[in-house]
Amino acid sequence: MDTLSVEARLVERAKAQDETAFEQIMSLYADRLYNYILRMVGNATDAEDLVQETFLRAYQGLPTFDGRASLGTWLYRIATNLCIDHQRRRARRVPTVSYSMQEDEDGEPAEWEFPDLQTPNPLDAALNRELEAVVEEAIGNLSPKLKTVLLLYDVEELSYEEIARVLNIPIGTVKSRLNHARTQIQRYVAAYLNDAPKHAGTPPASEGMDDAMQAF
Amino acid sequence: MRCKRFEQQMWAYIEGQLPPRQARALEAHLQACPYCQRQLEAAQATYHALRALPRRRAPVNLSEQVRRRIAEAPARPTLDWARVWRRVALAPALGLLAAAAWWGWYAHQSAPSPNTVAADSAESFVELHEQLELADWSPSPTPSYFISTGYTR
Repeated sequence: MDTLSVEARLVERAKAQDETAFEQIMSLYADRLYNYILRMVGNATDAEDLVQETFLRAYQGLPTFDGRASLGTWLYRIATNLCIDHQRRRARRVPTVSYSMQEDEDGEPAEWEFPDLQTPNPLDAALNRELEAVVEEAIGNLSPKLKTVLLLYDVEELSYEEIARVLNIPIGTVKSRLNHARTQIQRYVAAYLNDAPKHAGTPPASEGMDDAMQAF
Repeated sequence: MRCKRFEQQMWAYIEGQLPPRQARALEAHLQACPYCQRQLEAAQATYHALRALPRRRAPVNLSEQVRRRIAEAPARPTLDWARVWRRVALAPALGLLAAAAWWGWYAHQSAPSPNTVAADSAESFVELHEQLELADWSPSPTPSYFISTGYTR
């Protein structure tokens, strides 16, 4: 039996008030949705709350879920809407909000596992983790619209069609947003890679971005 | 401007989705352009890093927390048939109102002398309008996520 039919059966059972079926749905999607939401909102506390809310909404919405979209598409849609609402509310509270992953709202280091640059490690592993941190930071600096598409395609590995259904936008718009997001993130990483020999261990500065732009 | 065009093709090139002719043009350009070489290197590093980003486990008590929230959440609103009926009944009423207004206007046009019919019609129009305003027009409390994706361009 393929994944879709397994999920369809789970949904049918959950609709019939089978609590274990809903538990199974949660265990299938908990990690995926949590990671997606965590990168969307940038801190673990909000992500935890929003992933709970996603499953609560899913539970309440089950009677109206008609199976036209896949279970995954539907859950990502609920999660995305909650994240966008959350970011709008936060933007209203703090006009100059930063989506940087390195600090949470209190200026404390986020719980995200950033590389400890003081720890002696094999060089390659250290460079890889450093690059991860730069990529995470670059993702955090994207606008919510671009971030959503980039995360869904390049991290969660959904197809263009699935993303179009999640966001209810045309496939052409998905592709165009993905191009914009990738170009932005790539320039950010390029600036870091160019600066790395000079400033090992520091994230790319905005001057680096300017250099990259001037090199056009 | 050429660099910008090539820059936008780099991810398709990495994924092997760039048509052969464009791929050859990009490769030729890369030979002569250090900026695009750096961009390609960055795009490749980013492409692989995105797919290898560490994934965290969801909180262990997630399922328990969700069950608690489900138990605490208010029951889903049921369909209020009285409200639905009011709305259905109001539709023909509005149609009649529009017809009455048109008739009043028509009578006024066809009878040049000052007449009381149009005035009466206007008064009844206002009265009916006020009555309709007093009627309960509030939408049923259906959560927005059931009726919209909520995500707009």
